[in-house]
Amino acid sequence: MREIVLQTNELTKKYKDFIALDHVNITVNKGDIYGLIGRNGAGKTTLMKVITTLSNKTGGGFELFGMSDNNLTAIKRRIGCLIENPAFFPNLTAYENLKYYAIQKGIANKKQIDEALNIVGLEDTRNKKFKNFSLGMKQRLGIAFAIMDNPDFIILDEPINGLDPIGIRDLRDIFKRLNKERNITILIASHILSELYAIATTFCILEKGKVIKELTKEKLDLECSKCIVIKTDDVKRAIIVLESDLKTTNYKVINSGEIRLYDYLGHTDEVNKAMVKKDINIRELYETGIALEDYFKTVIKEVE
Amino acid sequence: MLNIIKSDLYRIFKGKAIYVTILVMSVLMIANAISVSIINIGGKTSANIGDGTGMEFMVELQNANTLKDFREVMMRYREYPLDQEMIADNINLYYFFIVIVVIVLCTDFSNKSIKNTLSSAISKKKYYLSKVILIFGICTFLVLFSNYFFYLLNILVNGKALSSSLLDITKYTLLQLPMIYGIISLLICFAFTFKKTSRFSTITIPFILVLQLIVIAFISLFRIEANWFYNYEFQYALMNLVISPTNAYILKCVLLGIFYIIIFNGIGYYTFKNTEIK
Repeated sequence: MREIVLQTNELTKKYKDFIALDHVNITVNKGDIYGLIGRNGAGKTTLMKVITTLSNKTGGGFELFGMSDNNLTAIKRRIGCLIENPAFFPNLTAYENLKYYAIQKGIANKKQIDEALNIVGLEDTRNKKFKNFSLGMKQRLGIAFAIMDNPDFIILDEPINGLDPIGIRDLRDIFKRLNKERNITILIASHILSELYAIATTFCILEKGKVIKELTKEKLDLECSKCIVIKTDDVKRAIIVLESDLKTTNYKVINSGEIRLYDYLGHTDEVNKAMVKKDINIRELYETGIALEDYFKTVIKEVE
Repeated sequence: MLNIIKSDLYRIFKGKAIYVTILVMSVLMIANAISVSIINIGGKTSANIGDGTGMEFMVELQNANTLKDFREVMMRYREYPLDQEMIADNINLYYFFIVIVVIVLCTDFSNKSIKNTLSSAISKKKYYLSKVILIFGICTFLVLFSNYFFYLLNILVNGKALSSSLLDITKYTLLQLPMIYGIISLLICFAFTFKKTSRFSTITIPFILVLQLIVIAFISLFRIEANWFYNYEFQYALMNLVISPTNAYILKCVLLGIFYIIIFNGIGYYTFKNTEIK
């Protein structure tokens, strides 16, 4: 069984009458790149702030590396964070800013600062003042700060906001590398679905402070991918037709009345003929497939 | 906690603000001393001369032939030397305390860098305590610097004979410290409440003046017995503590200082603990 890095249990956060987090239950396993998807105000940042203790919860709880949220001081050393915009001292250089936090965290080996700067590609601008940094450089410095202490878990809130396409690609590569090479678990929030899709292994859709869906990439692919939807009253016989007559096992039974077939795309008539030939009552048969954005919209609409 | 203090010291000494503060403070202290000593070399302002001594004092001053005689007359009538006067009247320190609180604390809120600190392995309690210790430490340095600077300045201007002893200066400083820590605690409480530099400065810069005006207006309007105000208001207390205080008065001021430290830091920490870090 995989180690659980973060587990929330009915986590709730209220601001007077506004519920920012509504009994949130999520589980982040070791090695995951866990993507939080949601519209502005869905509760992504609030969730991250509560986990990092920047904000106080009003109900429920959470565990980090198996430790309860009442006893996080020691365990927080294993976390690196970048919440909202990267915030550093404008008159200090990139290196000095990281050195400030290295002293604060008690990092004796100052080589870790250089290493972090190298990973994010800021080695040449280490002596440039933060106030003269571009947005992309600021984001990179924020990530360098998050990884400087060799954490096991990093929490990144909208790290690709405002970056150009090359910057986005570079950061994406950095996240993947950190995840793969250092086995760092990543919790990342974004509303740029395509980017999140490119890196995350697990997804959580938040809306109005509630978890609407938590699913793996494979499941998301399945739910979004192109397929032929077969709606019938006789799923068992339809499966026999698929396997024996159409010679395919590339299908998925969604429920007692629906099968999704991932072969024969563009050939729905052939599938229909095979079913009719065996006297199977087909209620609906059509080709479908949805883009991530549409899927996201659909899921949210379902809740509304 | 020590790491937070060390990192803040690293940041503070990398910046220019602390050096500018000390420089401006020195210039102001020199200007202050000169502006007082030009009229009253080695002594106090004429406002502090008691009734009935004015004429006699003026005659003696007129009869003084040398600068040395002049200073001796001044000392005889004013009772305490220039350094003591400067230490008693040094209200500028309050404004430098504001600067220190901004440098050490408000900067974190204004730059939002506090998020980085608190999301790491540092609790709000540790953060609060280390900031209080550091601010107290730097402000103590400023008080010592200021008081001993006046001492040296007076020796330079008036000579050792017309100066307080080093022991006296140390005694004045120690007597002032509890009240000073009390007022610094109020500033810290304001900083954790108003957070951003602009809001904090807007409130704290006129605070003492506005408070005095309101209380004096209240006292005048309702004809209230006001000894408590002139004895225990921050600025008056610091003055009285240097100029021949009684033991009972010292004790009351020390207790008042401790009360301020506890109450303002209590409010400050409670506010901070329940605050959302944005």
